[in-house]
Amino acid sequence: MSDELGSVGRLGGGSGTKRVRDKTRAPFICLCLLPAFLFLAVFLYYPIEETFRIALTKSTGMGPETFIGLDNYAKLFTNEEFLAGLVHVFSWAFWSVLIQLPIAFLVAFSLTFYANKLTGPLRAIFYLANVLPSAITAMLGKFIFAPRFGIIASLANTIGWKWLGSIDFLGNPKLAFWSVFTIATWAYTGFPIIYLMARIEQIPKEVREAAELDGATGWRYARSIVLPDLGYPLRILAVLCTVGSLKLFDLPNLVTAGGPGNATVTLGITLYRDGFINWNYGKAAAIGVVIFVLSLGFTIAQFSLGSRRGGEKT
Amino acid sequence: MTQAENAAGVRRGSKSVRMRHGAPEVFATIILVALALVVVLPFIIPFLFVFKTQLEFVYHPWTLPTRILWTNFIEAWKAVRIDRGLVNTFIVSIGAIITTLPPSALAGYVFARYRSRATEIAFYAIMVGYFVPAQMVLIPLYKLEVASKLNDTLYGLFLPMAAFGIPFWTLIYRSFFKSLPSELAEAARIDGAGHAGTFFRVMLPLANPATVLALILVFIGAWSDYLLSLILLSNQEHFTMQLRVASFLSAYGTDRMPRYAAAAIISAAPTVILYILGHRWIIQGTLAGAIKE
Repeated sequence: MSDELGSVGRLGGGSGTKRVRDKTRAPFICLCLLPAFLFLAVFLYYPIEETFRIALTKSTGMGPETFIGLDNYAKLFTNEEFLAGLVHVFSWAFWSVLIQLPIAFLVAFSLTFYANKLTGPLRAIFYLANVLPSAITAMLGKFIFAPRFGIIASLANTIGWKWLGSIDFLGNPKLAFWSVFTIATWAYTGFPIIYLMARIEQIPKEVREAAELDGATGWRYARSIVLPDLGYPLRILAVLCTVGSLKLFDLPNLVTAGGPGNATVTLGITLYRDGFINWNYGKAAAIGVVIFVLSLGFTIAQFSLGSRRGGEKT
Repeated sequence: MTQAENAAGVRRGSKSVRMRHGAPEVFATIILVALALVVVLPFIIPFLFVFKTQLEFVYHPWTLPTRILWTNFIEAWKAVRIDRGLVNTFIVSIGAIITTLPPSALAGYVFARYRSRATEIAFYAIMVGYFVPAQMVLIPLYKLEVASKLNDTLYGLFLPMAAFGIPFWTLIYRSFFKSLPSELAEAARIDGAGHAGTFFRVMLPLANPATVLALILVFIGAWSDYLLSLILLSNQEHFTMQLRVASFLSAYGTDRMPRYAAAAIISAAPTVILYILGHRWIIQGTLAGAIKE
């Protein structure tokens, strides 16, 4: 990112050889930056400032706002729904790193290592579900897990496994989280797969040939050559998973609406419930600040990883 | 793909599939194809259900359909009105492209070619937006849109989308313009082109790859949006495709599976068709965006 901080642009008066006063330079720069800053000022800078301010008030959207200091934040940490959201968001991050990334690595490695006519077109298929809008992912996911008539239930009933057919995957508080997580794994593992494939394909062919001469084929090649080479992209993916989990909203809201009870509540869902169903703006803004602080922390982690191993970047 | 490596492969199994690595490759191929089937099945199984009445479905869910029955499609269409949703979603997507790309290209160009202390500070000011999740600003955004009567309009939807997208695309354009040889711009300047002329006639056309990338990904992003539409739109008329799918989910549920299957087919079709036509570009674009970053 900041590797060229010190360099000076060569265009428009910076070169030193001909220092002609360029009267159009500054106005041009300002005109170019104006549209971007207009958008950001109205829809980002002002709302950010407002979020911090509203978070310190008791505010319902109607009537006056009263300043209550850090009360909104303090109350969050005794709020059952918020704490459930916090726990779900972190266990979601944990399990997506632990389950989705290994699957993605195995698939990406096999797809590149055993590339043949059958496996060639599969990359596009694995990425298909990733492109679906989350509303449609939710629709297909419910189609699988719905009670009585969903794919699992009706398959089980057809072959006579009544115990399986009577499980309510989305309505049972113990299972709902895992059902939504399964849908997400189905939908979102495509991205790490194509990302890792692109990285694996950058390994020079000579490396692989040399490894094969040494007898390192298949799994051994994957473990001792490919995997160490993927250290950096895997860490990036892990951070992306974590930041993505902090912002998780669409799927759990669409599939189970955070329920049953608080079984699939996330930070995003508590924010939505507080802000747009209970009209408690102050509390919702405080949750927004918490999401921001947490994701900022993880993004900084991502960037510091990036600069430490910056030489590897292409 | 590393297809070239198969050139020396031994022929095995079926006449056209070359398996160079013997048993492990056969095994891996079988597993990969099975996994791909798992990914695809939720798209295919609805077709088994959709041509049946609810009664037929309850007794014989897994038999092949015996006739073509359109009633489920008609009911689902009436419930979802995907056609109106498509029009709205399309307007939002095009609007997002028009409002995201020009500001990003201009700013990215300045940050790449006119480096000074002031532009450096401006660059970091824009990058602030890159670290702010949209969820953080939902409450003030909603209040702002209500106050300025932008809520419940399609403009009110794609303008904030552009604001959330501009930091990322400024970054992409900046690194793209930096990768272009600076001699090109200097030559244009010596030929007498002004700052704006150099940008529009020489540099911007050279940035076409970045622009194509932005076109595809901004379109997909706006096309898929759920959270912003959910909060900002309230009139059914203005509902985007995703909101219509969402309200079908909560209003109709899965009790009548054939109708549900019809709705799933209708709603997934536009995206799947788009993907079949453009998957090469979509995958390449996604990777370029992810790696550049």
